[in-house]
Amino acid sequence: MTCDELLAYLSDYIDQNLDAELTAAAQEHLASCQNCRVVLDTTQQTIFLYREQGRRQIPASRRQRLFEQLEAAFLKKDSDGDL
Amino acid sequence: MPDEQALISALRRRDPGAFATVFERYADKIYRLAAGILEDEVEADGVVQDTFLRLFERLDSFEGRSRLGTWLYRVAYNGAVDRLRRRRPTVSLEAAGDGLGPAPALLADWSQLPEQALSTAEVQAALDEAIAALPEAYRTVFILREVERLSTDETAEIMSLSAGAVKVRLHRARLFLRERLAEQFARES
Repeated sequence: MTCDELLAYLSDYIDQNLDAELTAAAQEHLASCQNCRVVLDTTQQTIFLYREQGRRQIPASRRQRLFEQLEAAFLKKDSDGDL
Repeated sequence: MPDEQALISALRRRDPGAFATVFERYADKIYRLAAGILEDEVEADGVVQDTFLRLFERLDSFEGRSRLGTWLYRVAYNGAVDRLRRRRPTVSLEAAGDGLGPAPALLADWSQLPEQALSTAEVQAALDEAIAALPEAYRTVFILREVERLSTDETAEIMSLSAGAVKVRLHRARLFLRERLAEQFARES
């Protein structure tokens, strides 16, 4: 496998979507190619960082207000339905 | 946690507990998707409101062909994209051709930086800046697949794309973000 091929298959390799033959070829290439190993490791680290730090929430005060407004609409307490 | 059909039945009875359950389960997810697309917290709140209001309107006719979460994400996605188009009507939201980013150019290995070094406010800012630079079509796929951890098929259903298109966009988004973060960490080291 060449570097270009490894790059094309990188996401499928990360997601374990390659068949056994291509997986073995990718692993063989990675064992001997420092640059591709760095690209793989840093891509996986990129994914990890977004998974860990990308899960922001609605700030508490706005979340509470949204909850109350929507609950009122849900229960039809607000007859105009005007939020 | 009640199963989905029971939850929808309880919503139809206007059970306040059912509303609280659905809000707890989905409000932050909808908000993250909308904020990721619009990059505007106030507008993202609006998408959360609109999405739940649409659910309340459609409760009696909700057929359950999609899972509730997928249905909510799809309404939220369409709502956010509509807002984006109203804001920037001349900007194409379609994925670019093959031009998103060259082959990896920065090969410094920052994958082994200590966890402490990767959890600073500066890193958070770098993550925000990098993802904001992605075209919307790629950003949404990345958020749904990596942050929300949805499957390729669910992401495709939400965005009305083929599974193949989702895979291609995810691959390009990952490489683009890797390159952006590599630039950031190369500057810092």
